[in-house]
Amino acid sequence: MTTLVVASLSTREVGRRRAALILVIALPFWFYLVRRDLTGQSIRMLTLGIGWAISTLTLFVVNASRGVDPRLRLTGASVVSIIGGRLLAMTGLGVALALGYWTLVAIDQDVLHLWAAALTMLVSALVAAPLGSLIGALLPRELEGALALLSVVAVQMLADPAGLTAKLMPFWSAREIGTYAVDGGSLDLVWRGLAHMGVTWLICVGGTLAVFQWRLRLARYPEP
Amino acid sequence: MTPRPWLHGFLDLCLLAMLRERADYGYGLSQRLAAAGVAEVPGGTLYPALLRLEEQGLATPSWGPSESGPRRKYYAITGAGLDVLEQQAGDWRRFRDGVDSLLSAVPHE
Amino acid sequence: MSDWPSAFEAELLRLGVQPGRARRLADETSQQAAESAATPGDVFGPAHLYARHLMAELNAPAAATTRTRFEAGPVLLSLTGVGKKYRRQTVFQDVNLTVRGGEVAAIVGANGCGKSTLLRICAGLTRPTSGEVRRVRRVGLVPQDGGTAGWLTAEEHFTLFGAAAGMVPGRARSTGVHLATRLAWRPGRKQRAQQMSGGTRQKLNLVLGELHAPDLLLLDEPYQGFDQGAYLDFWQQVFAWRDAGRAIVVVTHLLHDLQNVDHVLDLGER
Repeated sequence: MTTLVVASLSTREVGRRRAALILVIALPFWFYLVRRDLTGQSIRMLTLGIGWAISTLTLFVVNASRGVDPRLRLTGASVVSIIGGRLLAMTGLGVALALGYWTLVAIDQDVLHLWAAALTMLVSALVAAPLGSLIGALLPRELEGALALLSVVAVQMLADPAGLTAKLMPFWSAREIGTYAVDGGSLDLVWRGLAHMGVTWLICVGGTLAVFQWRLRLARYPEP
Repeated sequence: MTPRPWLHGFLDLCLLAMLRERADYGYGLSQRLAAAGVAEVPGGTLYPALLRLEEQGLATPSWGPSESGPRRKYYAITGAGLDVLEQQAGDWRRFRDGVDSLLSAVPHE
Repeated sequence: MSDWPSAFEAELLRLGVQPGRARRLADETSQQAAESAATPGDVFGPAHLYARHLMAELNAPAAATTRTRFEAGPVLLSLTGVGKKYRRQTVFQDVNLTVRGGEVAAIVGANGCGKSTLLRICAGLTRPTSGEVRRVRRVGLVPQDGGTAGWLTAEEHFTLFGAAAGMVPGRARSTGVHLATRLAWRPGRKQRAQQMSGGTRQKLNLVLGELHAPDLLLLDEPYQGFDQGAYLDFWQQVFAWRDAGRAIVVVTHLLHDLQNVDHVLDLGER
């Protein structure tokens, strides 16, 4: 109940930040446009763009509610319902963004496995929200958080896909599934990608909740 | 004349006492207060106090004509008003006697 | 001159008075001025100031002299030997305070002596380094600033905080609007917190602090940005809570506030 109210109000909040929202929606589009001539590159960049956009937006949403959260806790809300509500809202937004861009790709490109292209974007969006919230939880200031996310995305973009570094990056799963969608090959790519996503998601969600459980903890005083 | 902070606590009491004597309207009450030597009460203090008495059911208003100018709002004291008046008058006397006993040593001019 | 009643009426409406009542009060006020054959402006001063004064007066208890002080209730907050250190630096130590239902306690002291920290300790958001705190479960905190979400409207805040307290949205909203009226504030439907004036945002903060009917209210200089009328409304509200048997702890730096409180804790003295 509380989770749903937090989620719906967070969605409204984000919806009112018109300029930021437009920039976030547009960001993956620029990524896509630059290599539109190459199906594989454009989809990979688009996917990464979705991940970056949603994680940055989540980072800002989490940071913006720093003043409200302790009061909600005092009023009686649990950490899981507060943070869970925000993650739900941002994940929903990410899924909507992913579906929108998938439609664009379906129309604009000739993709081998269209369903896998949808999956890669969804996976990117699903990982992005908790990643943004984890970074927001660890780095309380927005600028630091945004720079950290920039580093993650840059390393992800530049690392050798076969190397260990790339595998440790949060959006590696999307890359694997994206490769299957564009180039085909074994379905193992998809399974590996999903497994990677599952682990990353659990780490980010668990980490976020752990940090906020600690930060929003209330002293338990005995009754007088 | 009474310093204003003193009056603040006792204005309601004075108004109820005057209304017990007879129903009256705002301007009439302010003249009676001044004539009694209690205070020149500005309208901005008097009317809110009357309105408050009305809303608390201690006084009840009725509209009456005037020989000149607009109709007037007359206030009459209610049963509840009489009760409050009685209680406050008792409080006031105790307070006054206490202050008097403390001041008895102060020389009079 | 004819502007005065309409300006007065408009201000009453802004303060949350019902339209019919505002009209009646405006009419009567003009008539009362006519009784003494003067213009309303001469008798009552500027319309908007008189409107606030009138509202504050009408909300005041019947007679200041006989205001019944309720018996102090059970202890709702007690601090025993509470101290706080950040690393080596002692912010304060050995603070003792007991507040019962029906009492108001004020925490005073110079800037930086830890008033807000002590309040956060009372809330449970910060842990004391030493000493013991006991308090009732239901507590409301009104911070000095912040504590609201800039992009949400007042009613959305009511919904959010109500949900945190387990209230359904409709009831949370109506409760919030009702509590706002007592501070002479009618929340705008579309106005977001970031568009509110500082004083209005503090009213929102106050309402959010008491939305879930806490037994103990912790207020950190909650009247920043209040004008005179709102300031009076605020204290009247504090006394209304007190008379309803709640306990209030308020951080303040205005000596003027101290005459009506039951306990004064001076943190700067230690």
